[in-house]
Amino acid sequence: MGYMIGVDVGGTFTDFSVFNQETGELFNYKDSSTPADPSRAIVKGVQDVLEIKQAGPETVSYLAHGTTVGTNALIEKKGCRLGLITTKGFKDLMEIGTQRRPALYNLQAQKPYPLVPSGLNCTVPERIRYDGSVETPLDEEETRKVVRWLKAQGVQAIAVCTLFSFINPAHEERIGQIIEEEFPEAYVTLSSRLAPEFREFSRMSTTVMNSYLGPVMKKYVNNFRSSIEGLGIKVEPYVTQSNGSIISIKETIDCPIKTALSGPSAGVIAAAYIGRQCEADKIITFDMGGTSADISLIENYTPQVSNERLVEGYPARIPMINIITIGAGGGSIAKIDEGGALKVGPKSAGATPGPACYMRGGENPCVTDANIVLGKLNQKKILGGRMDVDIELARKAIKEKICDKSDLSLEQAANGIVTVVNSNMVRAIRSVSVEKGYDVREFSLMAFGGAGPLHACEVAKELGMREVLIPPHPGTLCSLGLLLADTKFDLSRTKVVTGEAASIDTVNEQFANMVAQGTELLDKEGVPNDRRVFQFSIDMRYQRQNFEINIAVPGGVLTEEMLEKALADFHAEHKRSYGYCKPEATVQFVSYRVSAIGIIDKPDLKPEELHPEAPIPAPIEVRKVLFQGKTEYVDAPVYKRDDFVPGQTIPGPCICEQMDTTLVVPEGWTIHVDGYHNLKIKDEVN
Amino acid sequence: MAKKIDTVTVEVVRNLLMSIAEETYGIIVRSAYSTNMKERRDVCTAVIDPDGNSVAQVESLAALLGSMLSVVPGIYEKFGRENVKPGDMFIANDPYHGGGNHLPDIVIAAPAFVGEKLVGWIANIAHHSDIGGKVPGSTSGDADGLFQEGIRIPVIRIRENGKIIPSVMDLLLDNTRVPQEREGDLTAQMSANLIGVQRIQEAYARYNDTLIDCMKELVSYSERRVRAVVAGLPDGEYSFTDYVDGCGDKYPDPLPIKVKVTIKGDDLTFDFTGTADQIKAPINVPYPCTKAAVFFSVKALMGDDIPANEGINRAIKIIAPKGCIVNPTEPSPIGAQIDCQQRIPDAIFGALAPVFPDTVVTAGNGACTTTILAGDGAIGTDSVFIFHEVIAGGGGASRHYDGLSGVQVNMTNTSNMPIEATEMEFTKILARKYELKKDTGGAGEMRGGLGIERELEIMQDDVLYTGLGDRHKFHPWGLAGGKEGASGAFYHVAVADGSVTRMGHKTTSRPMKKGDIIRVVTPGAGGYGDPKKRPAEKVLKDVIEQKVSIEAAKSEYGVVITTADGIHYEVDETATAALR
Repeated sequence: MGYMIGVDVGGTFTDFSVFNQETGELFNYKDSSTPADPSRAIVKGVQDVLEIKQAGPETVSYLAHGTTVGTNALIEKKGCRLGLITTKGFKDLMEIGTQRRPALYNLQAQKPYPLVPSGLNCTVPERIRYDGSVETPLDEEETRKVVRWLKAQGVQAIAVCTLFSFINPAHEERIGQIIEEEFPEAYVTLSSRLAPEFREFSRMSTTVMNSYLGPVMKKYVNNFRSSIEGLGIKVEPYVTQSNGSIISIKETIDCPIKTALSGPSAGVIAAAYIGRQCEADKIITFDMGGTSADISLIENYTPQVSNERLVEGYPARIPMINIITIGAGGGSIAKIDEGGALKVGPKSAGATPGPACYMRGGENPCVTDANIVLGKLNQKKILGGRMDVDIELARKAIKEKICDKSDLSLEQAANGIVTVVNSNMVRAIRSVSVEKGYDVREFSLMAFGGAGPLHACEVAKELGMREVLIPPHPGTLCSLGLLLADTKFDLSRTKVVTGEAASIDTVNEQFANMVAQGTELLDKEGVPNDRRVFQFSIDMRYQRQNFEINIAVPGGVLTEEMLEKALADFHAEHKRSYGYCKPEATVQFVSYRVSAIGIIDKPDLKPEELHPEAPIPAPIEVRKVLFQGKTEYVDAPVYKRDDFVPGQTIPGPCICEQMDTTLVVPEGWTIHVDGYHNLKIKDEVN
Repeated sequence: MAKKIDTVTVEVVRNLLMSIAEETYGIIVRSAYSTNMKERRDVCTAVIDPDGNSVAQVESLAALLGSMLSVVPGIYEKFGRENVKPGDMFIANDPYHGGGNHLPDIVIAAPAFVGEKLVGWIANIAHHSDIGGKVPGSTSGDADGLFQEGIRIPVIRIRENGKIIPSVMDLLLDNTRVPQEREGDLTAQMSANLIGVQRIQEAYARYNDTLIDCMKELVSYSERRVRAVVAGLPDGEYSFTDYVDGCGDKYPDPLPIKVKVTIKGDDLTFDFTGTADQIKAPINVPYPCTKAAVFFSVKALMGDDIPANEGINRAIKIIAPKGCIVNPTEPSPIGAQIDCQQRIPDAIFGALAPVFPDTVVTAGNGACTTTILAGDGAIGTDSVFIFHEVIAGGGGASRHYDGLSGVQVNMTNTSNMPIEATEMEFTKILARKYELKKDTGGAGEMRGGLGIERELEIMQDDVLYTGLGDRHKFHPWGLAGGKEGASGAFYHVAVADGSVTRMGHKTTSRPMKKGDIIRVVTPGAGGYGDPKKRPAEKVLKDVIEQKVSIEAAKSEYGVVITTADGIHYEVDETATAALR
């Protein structure tokens, strides 16, 4: 027993969530990030936390952190110099991509930055066919020459991706051996190991990104590990992956691409956990910050996963929590365009100069400026009193850039900015819910991030959602999520067969094969036997379709009975997603997936006693607020979040301020404080 | 004139309508059967207002715009607006009668009613791999009339009272070589519309008539945006003539596409007088497609963020004499119209280059280079296979950027077929090569994009090859001293004797033997600016990337590049200075 520590590294701040396993206390801490070497802020923060708690390094029982090293290396193009080896005749697959131009109408739009430097895209004679048969054997001598040539070019890493390696990896494996013989110090990624699925371009780009990040990540995590060891901490630190789980340093070095989109995933894991506390099994998460908003859907306390996403313009074929990011945050700039329309974002004023009200020279009106003019945000100091703002500058910016160019009054303009940015959120929420066949009205909206709670109720209202959930510390949900994650390896195989009884053995063989692989991985992570869970699923489609639907297959050993159930589930899911199904049509099984999970101890948070009788706290002030869709300012009490007591009910309209965010509750909505200090805000009218 | 709606509500509704169009697009792509839709995404969807104006459409590809703009007016003209009922769905493919493109592009439109009130339409169009006609895949290079190009569907009902009309479906499925695939694709299109109708009804429940007013305002907004740009341009007339290669052996002579653009105040006129007459070969561009091509060019030059809707058309005037190749009379063949349609933006860009010096691009690959392979071999319950792909080429260069290599240009922006997806489904096709082709990008200070070389080996006898392309004769032009890009070509490499035969740019149903290889080279793009001004280190990079040969570096750019070991390349500064 000891301290569990979760660390989330952001661009500006590094957040710490610390759980004392003996007392059950959860403690949050925050310090400035150190972008040049993010591990410095982590090490310093851990030291500070231990000092505050007067605990020794040996009391740390768990340490996990989310890293942005991979993400940043991709954004800043600071990966390593690498070479690519692929099938002869196909050297330009990375540049050609899907052969679509990046934008239909923008004639100047550019393709993503080439990760493989000029001329280092090499080929070797070899060819495997669709059925795994060898059409042209691998030319080993030529391969050796290519590897030597790449070595002479000074590459640090090599990505290997040949056609149909997902069905027969023999050539890739042999190329890997030759690299090992000729150039053992190179960092190597084989596509057939990293992402053995069909569609060569996405598999190749995933493999290339992995190799591009490999040496950078290796250096970082090794550094990080020795600093942690230097502190005297005995446990092996974990790193988060984009699928919301945590992995060891060793695994991070092998598969750095799996961390590249991990940033917001821990927040979603925490949201699912809080959903359990609130007994809300259908949640849309809404994490809005300064420049962007992240949105995802959680059903049955399980975040939705997607298997492919674009990272810096390139497809990454790895399982990850399906999070939609849109360029809409507090710093998003509003303008009246040439056609007289009010537009908000995606351009952001960032932290510098920031919104006009920040007094840092920003002249463009931002969402934050509008919220200040509307009285939703504190008009003197924000961030729990740590930052001064000037409402006059906000008014001036809106007046000059919006009112003077339209027939909107100041109030209409400020309200309009919020309405438009909310409609961007609504569109993103629809894309993860309504557009996937979910009835969004059955969901609760869980808002976090600095700006989420400001907009949540009004966004929910627009979508017909009737409940908004706010966790106790909306600004540090990601670091909390790091205390709640398990170890998880997502494995997959592709083999197309008809979904019928005759295929049962094939399916079971695939599953058994992956269970063996998963067991080996969990062994390496040191997960005890009684803490292992395997989850099974199959990607299915109607014969001749090309996009599959993932259907869970509990148990992992297919029987005729389970086959029927799985097929029925597929038809039902197809109907939900696309509005129709064809129960008589042939179903194909395409890919098989196994998640090998190692369950990790989690904080055991206990609810506090409820005090519904406690008097409503005295407001710290009464502010004039203009709510959405209204024409008149109304007096709204402003509360301090810390004053709320579990069991209390506080009616809107009101504002609730806390250090990391501000909550806006319109008329007709009521706050209910639960035993965990979560706020459930309910629409009492509809 | 629409009632004045506040700009904020309009923006909110615009987001909602785009969300609806995108949702229906996603349904078709993810649940369709044919590779055209599921992999290549040759699909477009749109929300249309009760008057028939397209209001919000997904930005998938521009070629399909034509139908979106004409389908509902076509329905009203034929049936009368008052006879459109809840539960109806309409289908069309004949551009002379309510369709928009060529016959394989089938549009399906559904009215959304709330009670008795028509509140909007949802429509989609998708490219079907075969709808009958003289050749598998329907599109040939030598059809001399529309009747050879497949079944014509004038705008008719396919659903009534919420049910499919079985006899209509039977008729359509009986007229395709691959009925299972057709049925799957049509089901996906109709299902997407059912969801779209529901979404429009939900939107109306939320906004009532404000929804319709916003639709009108969105159209006006796009018109205002275009007019605002035009008003800021110098008045004048700008002309340009580009050429289509001709069409097969029957029309070996170049066909001019001539445009005169007139800017006067905020009015913009495109006059195609002087363009070639229509021909009895399948590259006539139906008038809706001509409109779509002008629409594309205007949006690309004047503001890529202007919402794509009918408002853009309202801001412009098109003069296209009846009987010319961009406004042909019924029943002129149109199957391969896109090869000619692609030349319309080229001509407009050429004309407006002096007006938009920072935006305009040089001529790109300017084609829609198509390979169709058909042969015996069961897939599902269909007994023949029809493989259809479009191969990209060079993208135009501009004052500030090199052209993109291996991209679709102008009216099309479809994906390639992943090789692994192709070979798993079409097991008798083996890709041998798919690479950028060196020295195909026109030399310039900004280099034109490179074309692609693709080789497919045929692994069974009696496969019929149809290859359609353009710019095999007329090279893509450069600007401001930039050189022209390379032209395209089709080759047949025979296994029997190893002979390599160059095939025509409209090859139709040429038999292939097992082991034969089809080699397709797509055109590059023109360069921008004087090649001698291209920095030597960029030319060196081009050489290292195998985009430019050492020889061309010297002859075209005046840059001498040497290598001692084949590993390291460098610029010979002295020799280069002498040449430059």
